[in-house]
Amino acid sequence: MEANAKRLSLKKERAPKKKMTKEKRVRYFKDNSPYLLMVLPAVLVVFLFNYLPIYGVLIAFQDFMPGDKILSDSTIWVGFQNFERFFSDPQFWPLMKNTFLICIIGFVIGFPLPIIVSLMLNAMKGKKTAKVLQTIFNGPHFISLVVLVGMLTLFFGRYGLVNNIAAHFGGERYSYFLESSAFRPMYILSSNWQDFGWSAIIYIAALSNVDPQQHEAAILDGATRFQRVMHVDLPAIMPMVSVMLIMSIGGLMGVGYEKALLMQTDGNLAVSELISTYVYKRGLTGVPDQAYATAIGLFNSIINVVLLIIANTTSKKFSENSLW
Amino acid sequence: MSEVVMKGLKKVYDNKVTAVHDVNLEIKDKEFIVLVGPSGCGKSTTLRMVAGLEEISDGELYIDGKLVNDVAPKDRDIAMVFQNYALYPHKTVYDNLAFALKLRKESKEVIDKKVREVAEILDITQYLKRKPKALSGGQRQRVAIGRAMVRDPKVFLMDEPLSNLDAKLRNQMRAEIIKLRSRINTTFMYVTHDQTEAMTLGDRIVIMKDGYVNQIGTPQEVFNKPVNLFVAGFIGMPVMNFFDNCKLLLEDGKYYAEIRGVKFLLGDFQQKALKQINAKSCDIVAGIRPQHVTVGEGELSAKIEVSEMMGSEYNIHARTDKDEVVMLIPTVDLTTDVSMGKTINFTTRPHLIQLFDRETGNNIIWYDAESAANNAPVCKRYDF
Amino acid sequence: MEKQQVKRMALRDTTGDKIFYTINAIFLGILALIVLYPLYFIVIAAISDPDAVLAGDVVLYPVRITMEGFSKIIERKDVWLGYRNTIFYTALTVILSILVTVPAGWALSRKTLPGKKAFMIYFIIPMFFGGGLIPFYNVMSSLGLVNTIWAIVLPAILSVWNLFMTKTFFESSIPDTLIEAATIDGAGSFRIFGEVVLPLSKAIIAVMALYYAVGQWNSYFNAMIFLQNENLYPLQLVLKEILIASESTVGGSGETILQQYRLANQLKYVSVIVSSVPVLLLYPFVQKYFAQGVMIGSLKG
Repeated sequence: MEANAKRLSLKKERAPKKKMTKEKRVRYFKDNSPYLLMVLPAVLVVFLFNYLPIYGVLIAFQDFMPGDKILSDSTIWVGFQNFERFFSDPQFWPLMKNTFLICIIGFVIGFPLPIIVSLMLNAMKGKKTAKVLQTIFNGPHFISLVVLVGMLTLFFGRYGLVNNIAAHFGGERYSYFLESSAFRPMYILSSNWQDFGWSAIIYIAALSNVDPQQHEAAILDGATRFQRVMHVDLPAIMPMVSVMLIMSIGGLMGVGYEKALLMQTDGNLAVSELISTYVYKRGLTGVPDQAYATAIGLFNSIINVVLLIIANTTSKKFSENSLW
Repeated sequence: MSEVVMKGLKKVYDNKVTAVHDVNLEIKDKEFIVLVGPSGCGKSTTLRMVAGLEEISDGELYIDGKLVNDVAPKDRDIAMVFQNYALYPHKTVYDNLAFALKLRKESKEVIDKKVREVAEILDITQYLKRKPKALSGGQRQRVAIGRAMVRDPKVFLMDEPLSNLDAKLRNQMRAEIIKLRSRINTTFMYVTHDQTEAMTLGDRIVIMKDGYVNQIGTPQEVFNKPVNLFVAGFIGMPVMNFFDNCKLLLEDGKYYAEIRGVKFLLGDFQQKALKQINAKSCDIVAGIRPQHVTVGEGELSAKIEVSEMMGSEYNIHARTDKDEVVMLIPTVDLTTDVSMGKTINFTTRPHLIQLFDRETGNNIIWYDAESAANNAPVCKRYDF
Repeated sequence: MEKQQVKRMALRDTTGDKIFYTINAIFLGILALIVLYPLYFIVIAAISDPDAVLAGDVVLYPVRITMEGFSKIIERKDVWLGYRNTIFYTALTVILSILVTVPAGWALSRKTLPGKKAFMIYFIIPMFFGGGLIPFYNVMSSLGLVNTIWAIVLPAILSVWNLFMTKTFFESSIPDTLIEAATIDGAGSFRIFGEVVLPLSKAIIAVMALYYAVGQWNSYFNAMIFLQNENLYPLQLVLKEILIASESTVGGSGETILQQYRLANQLKYVSVIVSSVPVLLLYPFVQKYFAQGVMIGSLKG
């Protein structure tokens, strides 16, 4: 009885509950509104420089002249006409091929190299030496693309080091920059030279988290250092490898224009013209055809998103590693 | 005056997981209350709701008679000591202690006086200029307590404050907390998973499991009058021995407990209590604390598997046909050979046997249905 | 005691292991040479007689040391103007980017940020999908930023990658209880951010400042498409003229061309050095922060 009475009284006291939840909500918002204020500038910047351009891709479906409004009464919608034009462009297949080849070769060489280097650095005896080496390997990352390509000309240009030495021994001078066949090797090898150390950091970080007791246990089991690399270190970085693999596949057709533009010459244009550089040239130079260029760019981004989704789903299926 | 009253306090996460069910608890002024239970039992969540760090999903929380559900933590007049101390690493000990006062816009002189006073009490005056990094674990713990003390809170909240310390330091700090308590004389709410800490510190102990309060009571009550199997098993070291599939027998107006075929005539108090609640014969789980076992006599027998000499007592693990039995036998009383592999007889004093209903797991004598229905379970009171 | 030590070492390094360590060291050593030699060559070529360089005599050490190249670059007004512009752009970018990135990273790391999930999605989408070059150009031009320094600075003040790195840093290195303790002490959100969080975030602020600084220092493309006024050109754009423009326009032959190259190349060597000096000087001191940054980012990877 008493308990019942108490329960009833409890119920009564709880009557003004509705009002409280409202107050609660107000308090929650008031307590947390400073966070909204803190995130606001970033939201604004992303809106201006990322979302407005996404809205701007609408012109890919229009007959668009520079200066036109994206949406107005006079907008002429042309559907997929710009895309169809691109598919029948004589440049289409060469562009696809060039873009794909530079990416796939770059991936085949550039993906395993940092993994191997990180495993080797980690397996070094002298930890101090390994640190020094790592510092050296990271260095080129900070060289700008302009300087990097400048350096390439200083080594492989007509009067660069390689030719100077060749001439010294009576060879013919020969500008690698004007040779189609030299473009891809120069592009890919210089990229790797610049970034293999930097890309290795992420694996080195993962390796430094390996429990030393695992190594000690393996030593007691009689594993050689090489076996320990294969059976302790490598499995430890596999999750990271999967994630990086997904990301790389997602970027397989996403090679940028910055470096390729710097390396392009009339001589190597047949292989150095990529989708992204072509977009730049059609959209911003000569007589700009912005709608067409935007359509090509959109086509490229969509390929990337699709590749990323495929890579992620595949990885999800065969392992527990995925981006989302 | 600073009571804390919880009425139907509830925590639901994302409308799905209920971490705390309907806690009803009245903490008296200047009482030291300990919330204890295994991890994930909701004890920390309850404390954090009192602190204001966790939104209260339902129910009411009163501090000092004032409803504080929607009052910001700083205005609740509480202070909290965290498990990992949560000291500001970039501030000196002095500034750590002074921060709350500074935010209250106290004058420099008042702050200085208060900080030095507290530092004196906690014996950390010589470290005031240091940063937390330069302190040992015990010293950091003192600073964390000091930071709470300078605010003169109505309620002192402590969330596992000793569990980051090593065993020796923990015992030492436990003693210091007891000393501190007599000195600052305020209401304490203390969360721990360690039943020893709970037993030694608390005026009353709240034992929680899966978000429910299982028993509220003094250390003596929860040890001697556990209301159910969980409380009986959680409180006391080593853990109480449970004998499943036993019987409570009512024969000729007398109550017996039958354990493994051996009949024990229960004690006077038990007879009276069982009579009052009109208990019938039934299946029970019988509980016997390791401390209450005597060896070398009686009709129960077991084979010794492990026998540990602990100095003042022997800790014996033995096996009957069905059960593993732990016995704690004072060395001075021991006349039997308790080496490994020996089979010994053992018994207990019948009035110390705990009787649990086999179906519900509730203590037949001490479970109080009325208080349990209120979600404020205490042991049943008998007035004889 | 000592004997045991020796025995243990011997036990550990089997012949196979010794071979492994040796091959490992040799491989990495060669790799280090591959990385270092081009940089070394630039230096020795810059201080050698250009004729010796052209004759292929400069390979391992400088020949007929001369500072002629440096005195020539000092005369180049455009280089110094570019230098000044780049320093200005970089400083401005770093200040603004820290002001935008760090508070946003903190807010995103809070569970109580209203609409946190929506904000996360909002920031993740641009990581994988963008409008592309032309719409970006059009946005910049309709915002009236073309041919102003803001075209260089504003798009560079927030990288979503850096934002997420900052968020991860806060999540992993600022304990929740510290914030709760400050809340109980009576500090509001802004005070907690300013008085508790920021003093503990020097590492991430340093990393972010360096990331943004290097990014701005090295970028040329936005300047190339958005700036017409040569007085606004950043260093990289000036360098592009010096370093690269000549290579694609090869014509004629004979002594005049050769002479041109002789001088042009010397200027190139020197300008590579001059432009990279600030970054290279800074690099050894900050490289641990750079690496730290990548590690912070990788925690959640």
